Amino acid sequence: MSAAVAVKNLSFYYQKMAILKETSFQIQPGEFIGIIGPNGGGKTTLLKLIMGFLRPSHGTIEIFGNPPGTGPQQLAYVPQTVRFDPQFPISVLEVVLSGRLAHLPWYGRYSQKDKQLAGQALQKVGISESFYQQAYGHLSGGQAQRVLIARALVSDPQILLLDEPTASVDSQAESDIYHLLNELKGTMTILMVTHNLKTAINYVQRVLCVQGNVVSLKPEEVCEHFGIGLYHTPLINLK
Amino acid sequence: MSFLEAIMTNSLLFSALLAGLAASIVSGIIGSYVVVKRIVFISGSIAHSVLGGIGFCLWLERAKGITWASPLLGALAAAVLAALIIGWIHLNYRQREDSVIAAIWSIGMAAGVLFISQTPGFNVELTNFLIGNILWVSTSDLYILFGLDFIVLITVLCFHTRFLIICFDEEQAQLQGLPVNFLYILLLILTAISIVLLIEVVGVILVMTMLTVPAAIANLLTSRLSRMMWIAVGLSILFCLIGTGAAFHLDWPAGATIALIAGITYVTALVLFPHSQSILHKKNDIKKTACD
Repeated sequence: MSAAVAVKNLSFYYQKMAILKETSFQIQPGEFIGIIGPNGGGKTTLLKLIMGFLRPSHGTIEIFGNPPGTGPQQLAYVPQTVRFDPQFPISVLEVVLSGRLAHLPWYGRYSQKDKQLAGQALQKVGISESFYQQAYGHLSGGQAQRVLIARALVSDPQILLLDEPTASVDSQAESDIYHLLNELKGTMTILMVTHNLKTAINYVQRVLCVQGNVVSLKPEEVCEHFGIGLYHTPLINLK
Repeated sequence: MSFLEAIMTNSLLFSALLAGLAASIVSGIIGSYVVVKRIVFISGSIAHSVLGGIGFCLWLERAKGITWASPLLGALAAAVLAALIIGWIHLNYRQREDSVIAAIWSIGMAAGVLFISQTPGFNVELTNFLIGNILWVSTSDLYILFGLDFIVLITVLCFHTRFLIICFDEEQAQLQGLPVNFLYILLLILTAISIVLLIEVVGVILVMTMLTVPAAIANLLTSRLSRMMWIAVGLSILFCLIGTGAAFHLDWPAGATIALIAGITYVTALVLFPHSQSILHKKNDIKKTACD
C-alpha cells in the first residue's frame, strides 16, 4: 500500500530564500502526526505544498501515489479561524456545505444528501441544529473551529490537515477539539500544525519538526523545551 | 405636475426609471460580491478605465465616420478588457497588484482624454457618461441594459454557491477542485458589465457609490449573502426612485442626486449603528441563544 504522503528530496524557495531544503519523509495511512517548528520554519509552506497550492522548486510529493491535486479528492484542510472576516455574510450550514463543493451539480444547488451529511458532521463536532442558520462570524473561537472541522469531515477525507486548531480557543474548547481528534485517530491520516506541543504530545504518534528541513521524532524523544515553545538543537531529549 | 403624473406622461422619465431598475438589479447582486470580496479598488479601476473605450468609440464615430462604434459598446469592451487584465495581474503579480491596478486606472482615463481631445465637436455623450444622465437612455439602450441584466442573473443563479465560497475561502474552493482562477475572472467580468450598466445611470465618476453603497448598507442588516443581495437591490431601486423624483422637482442632475442620497443614507446608517454588523441577524442570534 502506498504512503499517505511521500516527500522525496523536497526543496522550496521563495524568491531566492530557501524555506525547505532537501527534505524527505513518509507518512503512513492512519497516522496522527504533530508538526512543530519555529515561526518562519516552513510549517505552513509544507502544508501548502502537500495541498498542491505551491509547487516544489525541486523534488516530489505524492499523495497516495499521485502528485497533489491530480488524484481523487482526498485532502481536507482546517485553517485558523482568525483569518476569516467576522463580517462575512455566511451561515454555519453554508460553511459546512462548502465541504461538498466537489459534488455540486452544474446548476449550483446542494442535494438533500449533502445537507444530511453536513448535519451529521455538525452533530459529530457538537454543534446543535439551532446554530445552523447563525452567522459564522458570530460564533466563539471554539465553535468556529469545530465548524471548520465539520466542513473538513463532510468531504470524507483520507488526510486531514489542521493549522493550529487550538490557537484561538479557550481551554474547554481545546480539550473538546483534542477529544474529537482522538476519536478520529486511526480512521484517517491527521497532520496537525501546533505550537501547543505540551498537550498535543499526548495524542500524536509522531512529531515532525520543521525548520528548513524535516526531522521525524517519536513523542518520547522530543525535548520538553518544545512544549513551552523553545526551539533549539539538539532536538532529541538526551537522557 | 407631480412626479407620478410626469412618469405616466413623459416617456423619457419612464425609460429613465426602467434603466434605474435594470441597473439596480445588478448593482445589488454584483455590488454584494464586490463588497464581501473586498474588490472595491479593483472595481474603481475598471470603472475609470471605461473612459478609454468611450473616448475611442466617440473618436471612431465622429472623426472616422464609423457609425456602429457607439460609446456604450466602447464602454463595455473597455470594462471587460480591464477586468481581464486586472484578473491576470491578480493571479500572477500579487506583490504589486495595487500599484498595477492604479496604473490601469490612469492609463484608461488618459487614453479616453486623449481620444476625446482629437474628436471634433462638443461631446454631450461624454458629459453624460462622466456625470450620468438617466434621461438620456434610448430604447435600444434599454434593450441592451435588460439583456445584460438577464446574462448577469442567469450566471449568478448558476454560480452563486461557487462565488460565495470563492469570496469566503479561496483555498477551500481550490481544495474542492473548483476552477478558482476562472471563477475569479468571471466575477470580475460580471462586475465590469454591472459597472457599464450603472454608468448609464450615474456616470463614471459616481458609479462606485451605486455599486458599493446599497450592498454595504445591506451588510449592516443581514449576515446572509443572498439576503444581502435582495436588500441591496431594494435599496438601489429606492435610491433611483427618490433620486430621480428629487432631481425632477429640484431640477438637479439625476445621477448626482441618486448618488448623493445613497451616500447620505450610508453615512447615516454608519452613524446610527457605529459598532453594529448585521443588526437583524444579531437580534435573531440573541433570540436563538435565549431559546438554547
